[in-house]
Amino acid sequence: MRVIVTINMVGLNAYRRDNFDHPTAGLVIVLVLVAWTAAAIWLYHDRARRTSVLLVADLAIALAAMAATPVVKGADFNATIPGFWVMGALLAWAIHWHWKGGLVASVLIAAFDLFPRSEMDQGNYGNVFLVLIGGPIVGFMCESLQRMARERDAAEHAAAAAEERTRLARAVHDGVLQVLTMTQRQGAAAGGEWAELGRLAGEQERSLRSLIRQQDTVPTAAGGRVDLAGALEAMAAAHPVHVEVATPGGAVLVDERVATETVAAVRACLDNVLAHVGPEANAWVLAQASRDAVTISVRDDGPGIETGRLERAAADGRLGVVSSIRGRIEDLGGTAVVESGDWGTEWELSVPLA
Amino acid sequence: MVRVMVVDDHPMWRDAVERDLQAAGHDVVAVASNGREAMARFPASAPQVVVLDLQLPDHSGVQVTSMMLEHDPTVRVLILSASGEQDDVLEAIKAGATGYLVKSASSAELVDAVVRTSEGEAVFTPGLAGLVLGEFRRIAEGPADDPRDQLTERETEILKMVATGMSYKQIAARLVLSHRTVQNHVQNTLRKLQMNNRVQLTRWAIEHGLDGDAEA
Repeated sequence: MRVIVTINMVGLNAYRRDNFDHPTAGLVIVLVLVAWTAAAIWLYHDRARRTSVLLVADLAIALAAMAATPVVKGADFNATIPGFWVMGALLAWAIHWHWKGGLVASVLIAAFDLFPRSEMDQGNYGNVFLVLIGGPIVGFMCESLQRMARERDAAEHAAAAAEERTRLARAVHDGVLQVLTMTQRQGAAAGGEWAELGRLAGEQERSLRSLIRQQDTVPTAAGGRVDLAGALEAMAAAHPVHVEVATPGGAVLVDERVATETVAAVRACLDNVLAHVGPEANAWVLAQASRDAVTISVRDDGPGIETGRLERAAADGRLGVVSSIRGRIEDLGGTAVVESGDWGTEWELSVPLA
Repeated sequence: MVRVMVVDDHPMWRDAVERDLQAAGHDVVAVASNGREAMARFPASAPQVVVLDLQLPDHSGVQVTSMMLEHDPTVRVLILSASGEQDDVLEAIKAGATGYLVKSASSAELVDAVVRTSEGEAVFTPGLAGLVLGEFRRIAEGPADDPRDQLTERETEILKMVATGMSYKQIAARLVLSHRTVQNHVQNTLRKLQMNNRVQLTRWAIEHGLDGDAEA
């Protein structure tokens, strides 16, 4: 660009050489400007040389050439010697110091252009106006572009880092899971104190595995909808009863209220298992999801509810837990059915997805 | 006695599984620590059951499963996995594995699973039953012209019981069926799943012009 405005400057000055009061001085100034252009192109090329000194010198030379105009061309000149050539310095300031640099450079150029003139016409005014508008705007746009580039780099960097973290976490988790399961297995075989250690390792292995699975489904939870499968796993992992959770694979997205209430109802089922069967009980939770409903089955391997006990409890007004399970599910417009036999007790909770 | 091959990249695990199987009187005919080794040693050792870890450093366990079954359709693949990678487990079952066990299972459970797998029984965990139910539900809600098989009501009922931790024996007692009938139903669900997978693959191949006639 500097080359084009320089050719323009040289050409125009050659064309209008008759206007010069002192043609030799004019020629010297033009040659100085051409030499400076070549120097500037080389100096600006390397980022390390783009210092404030260079920018100030660049603008100072442009202003000096403008200031020299009335002396060389006479007081009633039409165009300054550098003319549009000042654009180079102006844009350099705008690019380097953004809108502030653009503004300062354009105000200085405008001032040096206007003060020496004996009179001002529409053309002069138009040029000055464009310089004043253009300088800050180019600066502002440069700033935005640079900021966008920085933000994009930062986002790309963050995404790459997150991906690498996930990959590393998988490798680490897998190794830790292997050791925990191994400890559990060998501990159980050795018996005694080791069996206790093995049991603890087993607990840790289960909660870690459940955490990993939940993490897999985290990004899909969006727009006020949450993953019911992940929420059930989290709750089950923290429950004192030993619970195994089976899910349909992938996230089961439901409204937050549905998830909260359903998880609370399932927790109440498990609390019931703890109260009636004891901490040694095993329980299983199966989540099934279709487009319009979720069904959660909760089974324990206890002795079952003896016939008539629920009815007696209802008659005595002692149906605290059962009514809390039913209440929560019915509030969601669903149904809660309990079945019992020598295979244990099973709740089936169905909740419609409106 | 069952001829078993053990494929696992963790030496600690490989040794433990090998020891357990040998202690129970089975013959460990080969071990491998990655997919390449497994495929190299598989033809000569001709195992009845392959105990396979899904997470291998080179091939995925899913690929190894289909390559082995392509080579010898009578081999049974029992998946053993530590981290419960859900999608992988389902893919391996679709590719033809007939059993799945988490690594936290006891030695006795492992040996039992190997024997049952060798007898052609489908070894399910509750987690796998949940995944299979979910898969069939997705098929049922798919396009109506989908030629893939659905589960019968009975099969769904039985899978639900497996998913809530009931043994085949308990299910047989609860539904007043024979143990054998329950087993058959469960095996049927796997067979349908694998058949559906083939239908889907064929369909995909035809849609993408990869079948034999589509040379033009």
